[in-house]
Amino acid sequence: MSIQLNAHKKRISPVTVLSKTVVWIYISLSMLPIIFMISTSLKDSDVARQMPPQWLFTPKFQNYLNVLVGAGGHSQGFNRLLLNSFIVTFSSTILCLLVAFPAAIALSQPKFTRRKFLSSWILSTYMFPPIVAIIPIFIFAGKINALDTYPVLAIPYAAFNLPIVIWILRSSIEQIPKEIEEAANVDGANGWHYVSKILLPLAIPALATGAILSSILTWNDFLFGLALTRSVAKTAPVGIQEFTGMYGTDWGSLSAASVTIVAPVMIIAIIVRKRIVSGLTFGAVK
Amino acid sequence: MLSESTQLSSASATTNHELARSNSEPAHLKRKKHSNRVFWLQMSPALIVLLIMTIAPAIFLISKSFTNSSLLNANSQFMGLKNYQLVLTDSSQLHAARVTAIFVVLVVLIEMASGLFFAQFLYKKTRANSIAGALLIIPFAVAPAVAAMIFRELLNPNYGWIDYFMGLVGLPAHTDWLGNSVTAWSALVILDVWQWTPFVTLILIAGMSALPAEPLEAAAVDGANAWQIFRHISVRLMAPFIGIALVLRTIQAFKTFDSFLILTGGGPGDSTSPINLEIYRVALQSFRVGYASAMAILLLIVTSILTPALLRILGWATQTEVDK
Repeated sequence: MSIQLNAHKKRISPVTVLSKTVVWIYISLSMLPIIFMISTSLKDSDVARQMPPQWLFTPKFQNYLNVLVGAGGHSQGFNRLLLNSFIVTFSSTILCLLVAFPAAIALSQPKFTRRKFLSSWILSTYMFPPIVAIIPIFIFAGKINALDTYPVLAIPYAAFNLPIVIWILRSSIEQIPKEIEEAANVDGANGWHYVSKILLPLAIPALATGAILSSILTWNDFLFGLALTRSVAKTAPVGIQEFTGMYGTDWGSLSAASVTIVAPVMIIAIIVRKRIVSGLTFGAVK
Repeated sequence: MLSESTQLSSASATTNHELARSNSEPAHLKRKKHSNRVFWLQMSPALIVLLIMTIAPAIFLISKSFTNSSLLNANSQFMGLKNYQLVLTDSSQLHAARVTAIFVVLVVLIEMASGLFFAQFLYKKTRANSIAGALLIIPFAVAPAVAAMIFRELLNPNYGWIDYFMGLVGLPAHTDWLGNSVTAWSALVILDVWQWTPFVTLILIAGMSALPAEPLEAAAVDGANAWQIFRHISVRLMAPFIGIALVLRTIQAFKTFDSFLILTGGGPGDSTSPINLEIYRVALQSFRVGYASAMAILLLIVTSILTPALLRILGWATQTEVDK
């Protein structure tokens, strides 16, 4: 519902005009890093370093070719790192949803006597600092020779995204009218039938929100990839660090690689931004 | 409202049940026990994962924290509380704790205040504001590690855009942002504010557009000015959303790692080195597991002291909304 302050519409105070100007200047300035990243990725390295910046230039896609096709002297080609990121993101998200969905169903049932305690305990694990878990995971994975493999990333990611995803699913399953479940009970639908035929279709938007958020958090993560991989399973955000070497930074490649990491997330985020906000506030914001 | 519907549903469940079976009382109890068992079964994968993720590391770290265990040396000896004593008297660790605390308080305050300010001017459903909404989600989408790399390039004293713009408005050129502790701190705060203020703004915009129109209109009719309306009505009605944004940002700010490592590397010196970075370095670069475990356990103790308060705010904020 939009708010109409008619009394104020007639005389717009200079303070309001000034504030609005400040807001829009801030928004424009905050696009600067994005513009910088994209324009640098389309420039030759000698053009990229010119000061003042070249605002008008012929876009070149050479940097993208170097990053996506050539190995570029790195331990792994960047295309391989993107593939690693994708595999880890995909598998951890599936794992996370498989574990979260049944738990969210249980937590949304008023009949479940311990649900309040369990809900808040689960949320409290969201505060567990990842750096604290990294030490034992690093040592344990080293002992079983699992460092630098996909599971040693995918499983912790699924675990660390679990609290948020459970809460997102729980708050949306709670919105499903109780009458639907009662009707199903009267019709003699058993638990499994109810979950698969009635609850699951209704929960698909929430599952999508959970999947999107879990994917973004995993795709963008840096710490686990940095600590638990060396080369074979290295993820893209860790890999871009290698564009800064002994002989300075390869700005063109770095920017092109950054764009390939950021662009998919950015496009998805713009499209589903309402879901992201509503998801990360556990349904309090509709 | 919530409890009412709970009662309603359990009452009707009982009725259904009584229709189905005549000896209602024991069967009802049995059924309740049975359904609780189903719930625990549904919960069990999540509980196992979360216990392995939190309790197991905590037990492991506590046991290691009493030893001088190191990945470089197979023999480790029991040292009692020596590691804790060393950490708590090490001035660089106390400094790191201070860096973390200052960073969290600073960025959360700036982001909340600016988010609240921005939301006042962006919540109305207009075309311009919808564009603003799309632009505001962009910094959230950028991987923090990528953002830190981009900022490092932007701040480059010789080729960075920031340097060029500073020159344009007459500020000193070739500023080595990351070479001075004050400017390095500013760079970290600016990066975090850049990344997260828009997200806070989006939460608060969503909160503002859910506000009921009547109290605001009544206040406007009564001649209240914009500031009075904001202070006495909007802020109160929006309290749950402010609470959610505050809790989320506080938790995330505590976890901040990427920008410290990539943008400043904790430097110059150790002036911007937070506790997360110290633990990472001691554990995974010096491999002093015993000492790092004591640091990690102390960090865990601090977070568990903060957790109940944050949970209470969040529980209150989400509950108010659910009950509406």
